[in-house]
Amino acid sequence: MVEEKVEISNKLGLHARAAAKLSHLANSFHADIFLIYNGDRVNAKSLLGILTLAASVGTLITISASGKDEKEAVSTLANLFQRKFDEEN
Amino acid sequence: MNKPKNKPLKSLLITHGELGKELKAITEKILERRLDMETIGILWGEDGSRILGKIEDFMNRHSGSHIIIFTDMFGGSPSNVCFPFIGPDVEVITGINLPGLLKFLTHREKDIPFQELVRIIRKGAIEGINIMGEYLGEKSDGRRKS
Repeated sequence: MVEEKVEISNKLGLHARAAAKLSHLANSFHADIFLIYNGDRVNAKSLLGILTLAASVGTLITISASGKDEKEAVSTLANLFQRKFDEEN
Repeated sequence: MNKPKNKPLKSLLITHGELGKELKAITEKILERRLDMETIGILWGEDGSRILGKIEDFMNRHSGSHIIIFTDMFGGSPSNVCFPFIGPDVEVITGINLPGLLKFLTHREKDIPFQELVRIIRKGAIEGINIMGEYLGEKSDGRRKS
């Protein structure tokens, strides 16, 4: 299992379009991937699951993956958070 | 023995006015792709037989498919005009919202039996309605002002 903590730094938080990008990207990996925040653990491959975190800017989220491509999955998803979901400069 | 393959799945969104068109457009923006979904908007005072004609046309073009009709409100005219079309291959989901549509569009390609799929969509739509203060209160994660 690989885990990495990331901060939500885009102003709109983990909103619908960002969650759609995230779940779409997560679905391209074989590994089981979860987002963990304050005891909640949601499937990163589920758009509506991600939205239930109601996570706003400044929130720290742990990305957790287990499976054969777990390392690549975590680093790719963490990179999307760092790029602010490509919606801000 | 091979599992029987699901029939093609088609969807129609019937609403008051332009609501359906907007719901579809917003969903396309969120998912960043075009949706295979037709819309019918019922205008105030529009002749019911014209609406029925449009639905019949859709049904004829997609006979042999599974069809889900989404409407904006149970008991409203968009829902009431659909009743004659409900059958083993045609289901109507009323009171649709963005979470319900997103649930549909993220599950439609999965190999899920038709009747199970419509129940999953209904669950997604209902779970999308929350009272935020109550929701955050249950989570007790410090995001709610005391």
